[in-house]
Order: sequence, then C-alpha cells, then structure tokens
Amino acid sequence: MTAGSLDTKSRLAAILLSIAVAVVLGGCVVLSTGANPLSVYLEIVKGAFAGRGLAETLARCVPLVGMALAVAIALRAGLVNLGGDGQMLVGGLAAVLVALYLPVPGPARAALALIAAMGAGGLYAWIAAILQLGLAIPFLIASLLMSYIARGVTSYLVRYPLRDPATGMPETHRVLSSARLPNAILDLPISMGMVIMAVVAIAVIVNDRSGVNGFEWRITGLNPRFAQYSGTNLPRQTQRVAFLSGALAGLAGALLILGQQYRFTDGALLAPGYTWSGLMAAVLAMASPVATVVVSVFFAALQVGGFAMERTLGLPAVLTWVLQALIILCLAARPVLFRKRRT
Amino acid sequence: MIDMLLSQVLDLMTPVLLAAMAGALCERAGVFNIALEGKMLVGAFVAVAASIVFGSPVLAVLAAVVCTAIFALPLALGGARFGGDPIVIGIGLNLLASGLTTYLLSALFGVTGTLVDPTVTALPRFGLVALAEIPVLGAILGGHSALVYLSWLLVVAIHVYLFRTRWGLRLRGIGEVPSAAAAMGANVSRYQTSVVVVAGGLCGLAGAVLALGSVALFAENMTAGRGWIAVVAVMLGRAHPFGIALACLGFGLADAVGLRLQGQGLPNQITDIAPYAITLLAMIGLGLRGAAKKMRNA
Amino acid sequence: MTLLQMKGITKRFGSLVANDGVSLSVNGGEIHAVMGENGAGKSTLMNILYGLLKPDAGEILIDGKAMDFSSPLGAIAAGVGMVHQTFRQFPNLTVWENLVFHNEPGNGPFVSADAARDFVRHLGKKHGLEIDPDSRVRDLAVGIRQRLEILKALSRQARILVLDEPTAVLTPQERDSLFAAMRHLAAQGMALVLVTHKIPEVVAVTDRITVMRDGRLSGTLITRETSEAEIIRAMIGRNVPPTVAPKMTPTAEPMLAVRNLSVRKGDIAVVDNVSFDVRPGEIVGIAGVSGNGQPQLISAVTGLEAATGEVVVAGRDVSGLSIAQRRSAGISYVPEDRHLTGTAPAASIAENIVFGRHRGAAASKRGFLRKEAIRAQARRLIEQFRVKAASEQVPVGSLSGGNMQKVVIAREIEHGAPLIVIEEPTRGVDVGAIEFIHKTLIAERDKGRAILVVSSDLTELLALSDRILVMFEGRINAGLTGSDMNENTIGTWMMGGVQGT
Repeated sequence: MTAGSLDTKSRLAAILLSIAVAVVLGGCVVLSTGANPLSVYLEIVKGAFAGRGLAETLARCVPLVGMALAVAIALRAGLVNLGGDGQMLVGGLAAVLVALYLPVPGPARAALALIAAMGAGGLYAWIAAILQLGLAIPFLIASLLMSYIARGVTSYLVRYPLRDPATGMPETHRVLSSARLPNAILDLPISMGMVIMAVVAIAVIVNDRSGVNGFEWRITGLNPRFAQYSGTNLPRQTQRVAFLSGALAGLAGALLILGQQYRFTDGALLAPGYTWSGLMAAVLAMASPVATVVVSVFFAALQVGGFAMERTLGLPAVLTWVLQALIILCLAARPVLFRKRRT
Repeated sequence: MIDMLLSQVLDLMTPVLLAAMAGALCERAGVFNIALEGKMLVGAFVAVAASIVFGSPVLAVLAAVVCTAIFALPLALGGARFGGDPIVIGIGLNLLASGLTTYLLSALFGVTGTLVDPTVTALPRFGLVALAEIPVLGAILGGHSALVYLSWLLVVAIHVYLFRTRWGLRLRGIGEVPSAAAAMGANVSRYQTSVVVVAGGLCGLAGAVLALGSVALFAENMTAGRGWIAVVAVMLGRAHPFGIALACLGFGLADAVGLRLQGQGLPNQITDIAPYAITLLAMIGLGLRGAAKKMRNA
Repeated sequence: MTLLQMKGITKRFGSLVANDGVSLSVNGGEIHAVMGENGAGKSTLMNILYGLLKPDAGEILIDGKAMDFSSPLGAIAAGVGMVHQTFRQFPNLTVWENLVFHNEPGNGPFVSADAARDFVRHLGKKHGLEIDPDSRVRDLAVGIRQRLEILKALSRQARILVLDEPTAVLTPQERDSLFAAMRHLAAQGMALVLVTHKIPEVVAVTDRITVMRDGRLSGTLITRETSEAEIIRAMIGRNVPPTVAPKMTPTAEPMLAVRNLSVRKGDIAVVDNVSFDVRPGEIVGIAGVSGNGQPQLISAVTGLEAATGEVVVAGRDVSGLSIAQRRSAGISYVPEDRHLTGTAPAASIAENIVFGRHRGAAASKRGFLRKEAIRAQARRLIEQFRVKAASEQVPVGSLSGGNMQKVVIAREIEHGAPLIVIEEPTRGVDVGAIEFIHKTLIAERDKGRAILVVSSDLTELLALSDRILVMFEGRINAGLTGSDMNENTIGTWMMGGVQGT
C-alpha cells in the first residue's frame, strides 16, 4: 500500500478521476438492467441531502467514519486490518453486557460500556498483532479469520444465553433508556455518537499532523527499516497501533448499539457493511486521516442516497456498494492509465 | 457412517480446493491473490444465472469459468502487468463481487437473499462404475458430480504442470526472483497475466461447484469466507498442490464434522466456526514450528 | 586474435561522465583485468557491454562485427556471459533447474530432468566446474553458487565471460579454484574479463590490464612486464587524497570500547572475537574485502544485530540495550544504504532530520511536534551543509545522492552524540560532496568526537583515518598507523596478511 507516494494535488486528481470513471461504469451496470442511469444518480443525490436525507447521512457517518479511521490509522503505520467486523462485534458485545448488567447508575453505565467496548475491540486486534509478531501469521489473515470466529460466537450468545425471550428475534434485552446515548443534544439534531466520533476524528487528525506518535507511525509506514534504525521499537508499536485500530472499531460498534439500535441483534451490526465501506474509504484516501473522513462522509451520503433511490425507483441500493468498489479498482488500476499515456 | 462422512467431506472441500489451486498458481507466479473469495462468488452467481438462461448444467459451468476469468482481468492487468497493488485490487474485487452479485440478483431476478429456481438443476452425480464394486471406498468415492473428480485431476495436473513442464519451471522461477527470470529471457508479465486469468477460471469452477454441486441455488455472499480459507490453505500447503489438497481435506473434515454435530443438536453458530477455527489453529501450529526452528538455529 | 573490442565508449548520467571515450580490447585465450577504484567507471563499462546500458557514443565489436545490444538477451546471443556480484539465481530451485531455465531439454511441454542433469554433469566435467545437479541452490556455499553462475553463461555458449569482482565473497581456497577454472577456460580460447580493484589477484591470474580512473582509460599494461607500483600509479594517479588532514593520536579514555565481540550466523562466526577502541578526537577506519564481517560488526555496535561480547560507549556498557537506548547513550550512525535504511525517501527533509529525536524537548512539547522549530532546524542544516534543495519540505528522495547523504550526515552530526559510526560516507556521491563530507568529518574529529568509518574505498580511508583496522574473515588482523598506512600494507592484510611483511 503506497500511502504518501503521491503529492496531494495529483492524489486528489486521481481520486476525482476514479470517481468519474466509476460513475460511468456504474451507469453501464444500471443500463444493463434496463434502468436509466441519470435518474438513478439524480435520486441518489436528492436522497442523500434532501428532507430527512441529511440527518440520515449524518447518523450513518458515525459508524462509517469510525471504521474508516480504524483502518486508516493501522494502514498509515503499515498494517492492513481486515478484521474490523470481529473487533466491532466484540466491542458491541462488551458494550451491551456492561449496559445491561453492570450495577451502576445509567450514564456511568454508558461511559463504562464505551470503555469496555474499546478495550474488547482493541484486545481482539492485539491478539492478531501478537500472532503476526510471534508466529509470522500475516495480520491481514489473522484479523480476518478472527472475524468469522467472533461472528459465530456472538451469534450463539445472543441466540441462547443472552437472548431476550420476549421478542421473536435473536437479540439481547433492550438497554435501559438511562444508559443510552442521547440522540439530540440541547434539542439540536446532533447525537452523542456524532459528538464522540467528531472528537475522535479530530484527535486522530491532530495526532497524525502534530503528535509525536502519529509522526512515528507515519514514518514507520513509509519505511520501517528507517524507523527501526532511528530507534523505534517496531513490535511494541505494531501492538499499540493494532490495539488502537481495534479499539476504534469496538467504539463504532458500541456507538451503534447505545445510540441507534439499543440492543445487540444478531447480524445487525454487520449487515450494512461498515467495515468494508470504511476499508474502501481509507484505501481511497491513502490512509490520510482528513481525506479518510471526507471520503467516509461521501460514502455515507452515497449509501443513504442509495436507500432513497431504492424506495423511489425500486432498484437495489447495493448499487452504491458497486460504485464504491469500482472507485477503488479504478484508483488501484491507476498505473495502467498513466503507463498508457506515457508510451 | 464414516463412509458417508468422508463422502460428504469430498463434496464440501471441492470449492475450496479449486479456489486454492487458483491461489497456488498465482502464488507460484508471485502474485498475491486475495480476491479468491470474490471470484468464487461471481462464479457461483454466473453458474446459477446461466443455468436459468440456458437450462444446461454444462453451459452453466462453462459460463461461470469464462465470466470469472474476465472478472479477474483487473488483477491480471493492473496487478501483474502494471504494478498496481495486488492487495488493494484484491480487496476491490472482493467488494465489487459482493455488491455486483447482490445488485444483479435483485435487478435481474427480483430476489433478495436466496435465488432458487426450478430450472436450476444440480450437477448430475454419477458413480464411477468400477468404483462402485469396491466396498466402503465405493461409497466414499462414488456418486459425486464430475467437478469433484475433475478437482482431483486438476491437483495432479497442476502438480505435473508446475514440476514437470518447462512452463511450470519458468513460472516457479518468475514467482521466486522475477528479475533473474527476466534476465534469462522469460516474459514475466505475460506469464503472470495469463496465470491470473486462468486462476480466475478455476475460481469460476469453484463457484459453480458451490452453487450447483450439493445445492442448486445462489445466496448472497454464499461463499462465506471459503475463498479466504483457500488463501490460508495455499499458505499452509506452501503452494504445493498435494500439500494444499491435504489442508483442504482438513477443512472439509472440519466442515463435515461440524454439520454432523449440528445434526446432533449443537447450535450451528458454533459449528459454523469450526472451519475458521481449525484453519487458524493450523496456522498457529505451523507458526509455532517455525518459531521453534528459528530458536534452534539462533 | 581480437575477440572483443570496445571503442571510444562514452556514457553520461546527467552531469556525471561515467565513461569518457574508453576503449578495451580482449583476445581469445586471454584473461584481461579491468581495474580501477570504486566510481572509476568499471561497472558502467561492463553494463554497456552486457546490454544493460546504452552508450552515448562508441561501438562494440565482437569478432570484428559491430554489435548493438538493446538488452542483455542480445549480448547473451552474441556470446557475452556475465557473472554479477549478486547472483541472478533462484535459491529454491535445484542446480539443474537454474541451469536450464528458459532453455530446457525435453519433449513437448515436458522437461527431461535426466537430460538436464546429464547436461550439468557434462558441462561441469568439461570445464572443471562440477556441481551436484540436484542440490537446492539455497543450500550451496557462495563459491559453488558462483560456479553455477559461470556454468550458466557457458551453457549459453558464451565466448566472452565477464566476472565482476568475483573474489569479493570468496575464501582464499575458493578463490584459487576459481582462478584455476578461469585459466582452463582461457586455454579453450575464451576471452575472460576480470573486473576488480585487487592488485594481487590481477598479478596472479591475468595477462593484460586495462586501468580506469575517473571514467577515463589511464593505461593498458602487460601483466608480466609491469609492477604493483605501476598499477597503483595508474589507478590512483598523483592527484589523490585532496584532504589529507594531519593525523592524530589522542590518548583520552576511549569513547567506544569493543571487547570480544562476536556475531554468529548458524555455525559461522561472521564477526569473530573482535576488540578495539575509538578515542575522542580520532577517526578510526575499518578496511577489508567486502564479505569479511564489516556490516555485521557495525550492526552489532549500533544494536541492529544480536551479538556476544561487550560494547562500551562513554564508559557505559550498552551491550544489552536497544537501538534507541544506545543512541541516547551517545551513538550516531550513518548507515550504508541511504534509500533502504538511512531515510524515509517519501518524507520531507525536515521530517527525516528530526526523526529519532522528535521526542526531545527541541522538537516537541507535551506530545506535540514543534513544527516551526523543526523546520527552522532543517533550514539551518540545509544552509550549513550546503544541501541543494528547493525547501525543507520537499521529499528527501527527490534529492541527488550527494545531497541526500548530506542530509543523513547532517542529521547524525546534529544529534550531538560523541561517537559517530559511519558506513561508506561517500558511496555514489559526486566529487564536490565527497570533499565537503570529508572536511566535515575531520572538523568533527577536531571538535573532539570519536568517529568510526567503514569504507570499501581505500583512498577514502587513507584520507580520513588516523588509524586503520583491517578485517579479514570476521577478525581484525591488523591495526595500522603512521607509515604503515599505505595501500600495499593494507592490501596485504586485507588478503589475510600471508604474503610479505
């Protein structure tokens, strides 16, 4: 992954070009199924911002920015974290357990639930880092396989021991309203989740731009040998970065549960594919935190617009997922475009 | 009982085995292919769609092979020929496959979730006449679809290709030290490109087996991580066809035993983990052995 | 009979003239040396012969026919074989697979392993270069791998064989058997070109010598009729060491004290029980043929590689400490490869300069970088070290070799450590920067720093060092000062100190 190999201007140009090409290719897919691409794109844009669209887009930004930054901070330091699903599930489970069963007053439960979620998600990613450092199992593979295990285990837990028998669904009891995160602060349409994620995003950006740790991680991503020779303790750094990446994924899971879903329902955290959208956003942004946030917001709007388009035109919203993937592929295939132009 | 189980193992492992053979070819050629999952999914979708259109299992399988080979082109051209990052392209292909199949499923067939159609028939199963006579073994080896037998033939064929033919030798050299291979006159990018395309075809075959082998349907994301297990199987088998086949056999066994235990009342959420847990444990075992070896040498 | 002729070869890289009208002629049956120091243009000339580079002017004749190689494949087809310093081999394949690669015997798609094995054995027997065809290349000793490389060239009907510094990695025994093989090949009518800067080898094995200096031909000698002194004069000329500073013999307590240091790779001690001191106010040079343990010694001192024995910096035993701890105990280190290790090429000059000290008070405050201070420091060093760069914000990888090296040296000196360890201070650096770097190092010595230099360039070591230690097969077998610090004596010790003295 070649983060930082391009200067900002040509990177921006490359991203815009990729989006343009992806929109055209996506239009071809739409055409092939007999629909009109122009009206599809129009509905997506309208749906993302008009009416309730804006509020939905903002709500969707919370988990998406979280998962994208989780990938980005790892990628910046040279780690590919494909295990966001597992870290999110483990974090969400920890949050719901604390929020349901810890005998402390409501708001304290919420705060402790968030901390527990970050700890659990972080530890889950840290194990994958240990597997890479100690046993040479690639982090990418270990984190991904562990996702499947987390999926099975959490699914079992919410279907059997933790299940709320009152609903017909495989899900836990509802979190008491006192332990939930408020959906509106000072009567503004701003949820607690948005505030927390905004703070996290700013912290990640500031750390990347001015923090000594962020500096160290970025240089390691650019040249680990140089970092080591200059005195960086690489194994310790890998563990820390993996933990933080997992903690962010766990936090995203907890914010969804405490702020939007209020219980752990089997499959509900993963169904929207936040991990993979976040991964795409971070890769597209070449792991720059600011760009990652911008791209995540763009993807959130795209997805919300997609749902609106599905409601009005009846075409599947997953089209926006196709668009995201096409953008990545166009960007990754960039050398093809450049090479052809030169010769 | 045990023969039934082993027969099931052969069925369950075939898609993974075929995908892992694709991964092995790419690994030998020096292209890290993590798009096996997505390519398999495309293969499964095309197999079912073509089966509805043509009504012929043979044409369905052929269509799956051809379309998946085409789907592999971005990796073949972008990754192998023009130096794009194969990990990024692989991630992109996996996500595109998942999005595209779900979209087309809904847009073309008006279905979300699972596509079952009376015109989709499973691949015919047949017993090899000579085998049926043998006790026990006959029950294990007989009564599979042709692709199950083909997958084992392919293991042997790829072994022969890699270790007995001149092209296999060149491929191994290219994968190991591309600059040295180029210095001796091998056309590195042509080999890599064609191998990635062929691997795409193999993944298409894997998808076809998955969709039309034991069942006759397509479900969203029905590969469910099998492509990733194939990636790990290539690592565990050190890109050696027989070693990989052994790893896949272990995976199939875990899967089959899981299904059995599910029949005995164990929740399927737990038994579903079995293949992934076994795979991870196998990697840990291999890693421990490697670490021990390193300790001895130090 | 002249087999190979290169006439008036000129090659420029930007402003650097690597080859300036160089001519070379080699007869069949002859072993011909191409000599010169690092940077004299030998490699460029040979890369042109092998089709890796295109000359700007000049022509290549083989058997009197003009050749125009666009790639090594063309050169191979014309009968040129090359044994590079780094072998172009597949370590996980067998000897026969390596040898017949892309030229396989057999029927249709199948390779005949038996035919290939017979071919290896037959070729080996014919030229006195026998190898077991079924060994894995990774399991072979370096000398045998080199033998395979020669066989590969021969299997492609090479008539002109170029050996680039072939003895750099060999033991004396392996070297002797290589020379025997070379004589055998010459006796069969081949033309051999031996690229080297080692005089004893040239005297031992060659018929004629072409000497290069600063990209130009400085003489063609007949080995029988010349002397070592004459070769040295042709190699070095009289315009050498521009900056020979007065030599120092300080008596202060050692800044670096190394005791019984050993580094093991498997069963072999690549650094074997080495002890030495470096005192404040002196430059100690380490000389040696490459492959005798110099990089491993430096890695053991700086903490990049595990070792047994003691490393004491400024009176403190740092043996068990990490790289970071050793750095703060007082070691600065300029590594050999500035692209792979010495910098993060994609990061800016300022970032490269501050990295490693970014947690210190000068560069950060409460966990945040003091960006303006960092940039100001970078600007000051760019000025002081006369680095040619548009600004301190440009990526360090965009600089020329000399300017990049200045950035690395500036950073390490700026760290203020009392001990500077420096590998290959001026490799791949232009002449102006060489002089600047040498002067800088001597000035730092005069300020009382202790400096340890490793260089494969003897001229450089002679110019800089107050004392020279010679490494041979992992041991330091000589410590030379005063009038003993000359090419002859050092060369003898580099060869193990067997001849003479």
